[in-house]
Amino acid sequence: MREQNCVNVFGAALTRRNFVKTGGAMLVGFGLIDAKAAPAKNSLDPTRPGSWIEIHPDNTILIRTGKSDFGQSTAFTAYKQIVAEELSARFEAVTTVVMGDTDRTPDGSGAFDFLGGGMPNIRKAAAYTYQALLDLGSQRLGVPKDRIKAANGVFSANGKSVTYGQLVKGQQLKLTIPVEGNLTDIGGLTVTGDPPMKPVSEYTIIGKSFRNPVIPSKVGATEKWATDVRLPGMMHARMVHPKTLGSTLVSAGQVDKTRFPNAQVIVKGNLVGVVAPTEWEAIRAAQQVSNSTKWTDWKGLPGNANLFKHLREECDWTSTPVTKSDKTRGDAPAAIAGAAKTLKATYEMPFMKHAPIGPTMALADVRADGTVHIYTHNQNPQALRGEIAKMLGISIDNVVVRVYSGPGHYGRSNGGNAGAEDEAVILSKAVGKPVRVQWMRPEDFQWSTQSPAAYSDVEIGLDANGKMVAYQVDHYMPAMQDDRPVGAILAGLPTMPAPDEKQDFVQSTKNEIEDPWVYDGVAILAERGHGTFQIGQKASPLAIGLRDHSMRTPGQFQQNFPRELAVSEAAALAGADAIQFRIDHAREDRVLNILKAVRDASGWQTRVSPAPHATSTGSTAVRGRGVSMMFRSGTYWACVCEIAVTPATGAIVVEKYTIAVDPGIVVNPMQLKRQVEGGAVMGISHALLEEASLDRSGITSRDWFSYPILKMADVPEIKVVLLNRPEVGRYGGGSEAANALAAPAIAAALLDATGKTARRLPLKSVYVQALMKT
Amino acid sequence: MATINVNGIQHEVTASNDTPLLYVLRNELELSGPQFGCGISQCGACSVLLDGKEVRSCVLPVSAAVGKEITTLEGLPGRWATKKGLSKSDAEKTLHPIQRAWIEEQTPLCGFCQNGMMIKAAELLETNPTPSVAQIKEAFTTSGPSAHLCRCGSYTAIIDAVRRAARLMAEGGAR
Repeated sequence: MREQNCVNVFGAALTRRNFVKTGGAMLVGFGLIDAKAAPAKNSLDPTRPGSWIEIHPDNTILIRTGKSDFGQSTAFTAYKQIVAEELSARFEAVTTVVMGDTDRTPDGSGAFDFLGGGMPNIRKAAAYTYQALLDLGSQRLGVPKDRIKAANGVFSANGKSVTYGQLVKGQQLKLTIPVEGNLTDIGGLTVTGDPPMKPVSEYTIIGKSFRNPVIPSKVGATEKWATDVRLPGMMHARMVHPKTLGSTLVSAGQVDKTRFPNAQVIVKGNLVGVVAPTEWEAIRAAQQVSNSTKWTDWKGLPGNANLFKHLREECDWTSTPVTKSDKTRGDAPAAIAGAAKTLKATYEMPFMKHAPIGPTMALADVRADGTVHIYTHNQNPQALRGEIAKMLGISIDNVVVRVYSGPGHYGRSNGGNAGAEDEAVILSKAVGKPVRVQWMRPEDFQWSTQSPAAYSDVEIGLDANGKMVAYQVDHYMPAMQDDRPVGAILAGLPTMPAPDEKQDFVQSTKNEIEDPWVYDGVAILAERGHGTFQIGQKASPLAIGLRDHSMRTPGQFQQNFPRELAVSEAAALAGADAIQFRIDHAREDRVLNILKAVRDASGWQTRVSPAPHATSTGSTAVRGRGVSMMFRSGTYWACVCEIAVTPATGAIVVEKYTIAVDPGIVVNPMQLKRQVEGGAVMGISHALLEEASLDRSGITSRDWFSYPILKMADVPEIKVVLLNRPEVGRYGGGSEAANALAAPAIAAALLDATGKTARRLPLKSVYVQALMKT
Repeated sequence: MATINVNGIQHEVTASNDTPLLYVLRNELELSGPQFGCGISQCGACSVLLDGKEVRSCVLPVSAAVGKEITTLEGLPGRWATKKGLSKSDAEKTLHPIQRAWIEEQTPLCGFCQNGMMIKAAELLETNPTPSVAQIKEAFTTSGPSAHLCRCGSYTAIIDAVRRAARLMAEGGAR
């Protein structure tokens, strides 16, 4: 065989080696723009054929993605639809999706923004592939490309036809496509260039409700979960984490060998773990060792009672540059000073936990040859690979991460780790055997990262006609993304720096404006973001303190609650209906449409808040409704919550939740609906219940009683309205923004029902009850 | 050392008597249905049926399961086959109507809690074949040692699936 020719396909290179005896395929790989970058061992060689898409002679198609599906279903439904659509192949022809594994997928990045603002890597890779196939089809059929019709994996022209499988049969075709970026960065690699895309008007696969092919195995108990992976000689481990988020080790306890003859304690710096051949022995021995392990004391945190005072008065907001939104314009203080009516208020959002339903776990095998193999569930396995290599001072060539199904992480591991991974590696290296670390429920609340607390100061000026003339907000939030593996910190091993003002992108202490402004009729706007260091991190002798991490709708949750509740309050102040008030200040078509859609779908009656029947006293439930909206990742969202609140007890019941979603093109209505319902429920849970409890030493939430989440009995009637708008030409993201919408809508509904405004989350009954008496 | 009956098969296990059943099912029998969610009977991810009643295997000592019939998610098809008098080979080819309903309604998101949800549904539908939405909510929230928790928020999809499963079971179930 020899290289026959090389064809330029819109910037990609198609090479052909003719005449293999059996099989054949088109393999779509990458051409690195930086050609000097050496591909790593144990990586899918970016320039090697087959790293991205494979077209097989039997007309089946395989795709690979670095994205790990955590229940979004996107990698198994939308990605297959997108590839089949761009290729004009059948959905069912995409038979295999390889996901996440660092040695078997090409591009890295985290399990977020799957649809990439309408241009995910897999779409461009498929578009390049289609153009290459079209070149081959044109040659085979002997007609110009523009006279060929493609459908169901078949090219036809002039009464002749050829399948994609036939085009690749007996040949070794390799398509090299351009990429840029860094594999182990949070964003991974990005496919570049501008291949032609299939016109949206010709879509036949995108827009249909294909089922998630992974569900049968999860339901039928045949799925291999990360929790099911076992290796020969594997040991079970439980950790003995420090007493506080700043405690250092005084002395580690010893295993009582009369009770636990097979267990051993491993100590490295402040990292203490107990390893045993069986899980139950590891659990009980770790409890026993924990009881006799001594730690220093530490009280460096503000605790719940002083949290917002600490944030406002004691945090350093000056070291980190202030950010501004792109739309900031005009002299807001002057406009507000001259306004007919003004609203000035502060909004407070608590620390919240990602709280996966299963605590973090990982199995690591540090082998005698120096290679490290990790089996886990992780939202960014390539980033984890980089972090483990850094921790051990080895090349990423020696690290492989394999990914399996596991509990949803909601952002917690999108920077590479959730807690157990690096600890399993450290313990495996120490004992020379594969070690499985499983955190227990209290550790998963107390030693994991959290969504940062924040507060915002809002001022709104209204003119004599009740129109908003100026909106000003200052958002204050500590750093949001600490991707340092906690076991490495405890063990004193190398990690990336803690978030600070010098770093870029997500690891910076900068508080970016995450909630795009949607009320373009407001002439004067000032939106500023103030960032600071994580609370307690610098003071903690462990350099730990309260580590934060992005959680669904990161940053935007903390900014959208103040904005949307303040706008509802401003509407009340103006004597206007909350939806009409928004419509009157919006200019963009899609903003207007989403507000009208949620108004009509919810049966909203246009009137001013509070409701005529509003009362803040009595033990009879009083009803109210509120609205909220947001724009995120190419998608417009609006929701209406209808609540019943009992003033005497402060108990809020959400009775009906209506949500309208305009992502442009709806890729898969059934899957999007289920995602939106899930986000709605999590959002109601955030709004009503969720707050990490703190004392001066750490997080005191330790289980599902001390950190309650919404239960089935509390789920309202949920109505999801999907607006499919093919004319937009792009598909926006769909699986997280619903989280943010409930809180401002429920708080606005409380205002409607009672005339009282709750500007602090969560809306627990004890807080609402006290508020009613103010 | 104990002998337990799991999904109709007797197993002699080596774990000490105080070992929670969950670790025996997962680590000795290598079953993947029941999951470790909390270890303190607060979430339901580890649920199994013990003589038809939903229990939390994360806190139940294996000794307490001796002499009783344990059904895990893996055993739901066999349980349905027995009820319908299907042959063993037919039973292996089918799913419990609850599992079918979970697929048809596309219920799981991450799916980690759904083992317990389907086990709870089995307990409910065996005692109340036509539950109302209020009865479904009650069953999953207050009837057991704790509410069955889903962090992804699939409760609406679970309610849809339980209602569909009730219809499928009334119609005679599989295919």
